[in-house]
Amino acid sequence: MGEEKNIAIDVRSVDFCYGKSRAIKDVTMEIARNQVTAFIGPSGCGKSTLLRCFNRMNDFIPGAKVTKGTIKMDGMEIHDPQVDGVELRRRVGMVFQKSNPFPRTIFENVAYGPRILGEKNKATLAAIVEKALRGAALWEEVKDRLNDSAYSLSGGQQQRLCIARTCAVDPSVILMDEPCSALDPIATARVEELIHDLKKDYTIVIVTHNMQQAARVSDRTAFFYIGELIEYDSTAKMFSNPSVKQTEGYITGRFG
Amino acid sequence: MHSSPHILKDFDNSISALKREVLTMAANTRHNLERAIRALLERDSELANSVIADDDEVDEAERVIDQLGMEILLKYHPMATDLRLVVSSMKISMNLERISDHATNIAKRAKKIMSSQELNDITLIEPLYTLADQLLRDSISSFSDGNGALGASLHARDKELDRMHKDTTAHYASRIEETTGRCQEYLHLIFIVRSLERVGDLSSNIGEDAVYLEHAKDLRHTSKSERSEI
Repeated sequence: MGEEKNIAIDVRSVDFCYGKSRAIKDVTMEIARNQVTAFIGPSGCGKSTLLRCFNRMNDFIPGAKVTKGTIKMDGMEIHDPQVDGVELRRRVGMVFQKSNPFPRTIFENVAYGPRILGEKNKATLAAIVEKALRGAALWEEVKDRLNDSAYSLSGGQQQRLCIARTCAVDPSVILMDEPCSALDPIATARVEELIHDLKKDYTIVIVTHNMQQAARVSDRTAFFYIGELIEYDSTAKMFSNPSVKQTEGYITGRFG
Repeated sequence: MHSSPHILKDFDNSISALKREVLTMAANTRHNLERAIRALLERDSELANSVIADDDEVDEAERVIDQLGMEILLKYHPMATDLRLVVSSMKISMNLERISDHATNIAKRAKKIMSSQELNDITLIEPLYTLADQLLRDSISSFSDGNGALGASLHARDKELDRMHKDTTAHYASRIEETTGRCQEYLHLIFIVRSLERVGDLSSNIGEDAVYLEHAKDLRHTSKSERSEI
């Protein structure tokens, strides 16, 4: 039981297909709570697809679906008819490669989720926004300009705003799909520092092409290749002494 | 170790250059030790002088290896075996430099011993040198051939050298008491024996670095059973 409590996402023998094409092949893995798990692998290896399975974002792609296996979030199978996709996506937030703030003010971007969930009290909303912006290490930079357009922020700030927007609806898991690939090194360092802070409260799964980033931010790393989970171990082990030759070949830059 | 080439050819070239430098440095170090002992046994002061002079080359090699290693870390952010190769190369070069320093010390003491009458029991040094050189040779092979088991075996084999060191030192110490006027020479021999014993220790370190390179295992300060798993 104690063991089970520490698993946020339990993936069992999952196959995922885009029509006839099998993008994920029999993947089984446990993602630990309050840890950062990195997914690495060459383009097309299925890492983003699996990430998107976790909040059923693939539901929106015609013909794409999990054809075998189960994905349990806190013990609940996410494809169960009782599970509401919108509620699932509240609990499993997502941050994308390119920051995508809404064309609204900084305040409204963060308040948007709580409002949709029915929060009307202005003072409560203001408190949620402040807490989320502080959590995303953005408060000090934007507290005097909350009513400015979100587009007035720099790329790195916009990405942290998106993280704040995700946190505002109190998720338990945050999925990040290459969250720093469009950012400069300083903005990247800020987001990485933020990831470090966020894992106290959230379970984080991050897809990254940047091996050093995976080594820096994650506790565990999973290497995928052509839809298969090749190796999944502690990040220190994966990058110093991987057990599988394919992993070694990929992380040392010998194929990919 | 992974044998297929990197996609980035420059990375492969740098890795090859690093390995080549370590092996050249190892060959020069071994050569210095061999000549230092020969200078001692054959009372050849010129040979001793050249050992002392050639230590500079080994010192320079240590600097070059550190520089190459740093460059690889900086440019290519190596991972897994590549990272371990850089780390172990830098550590091995440090051990080799210290072995070459011992060769220099032996050469300096050889020159001092030469200035007085020959001692018969100087030949007791030979078996110590033979074993120390075997340990050094095998430590280098364990690195160049990726032979972790050979590298892990050195620690136990070094115990024999420790025993020989103890016996030979006791012999020379007793000679100091028994003879008059040869105290200086015997003290030099005791220090030379000590240097050879240190060569064994440093070779054992190199063996451990080779194990780290091959198996990512840190054998320092570990038990016999952990070593035998390699």
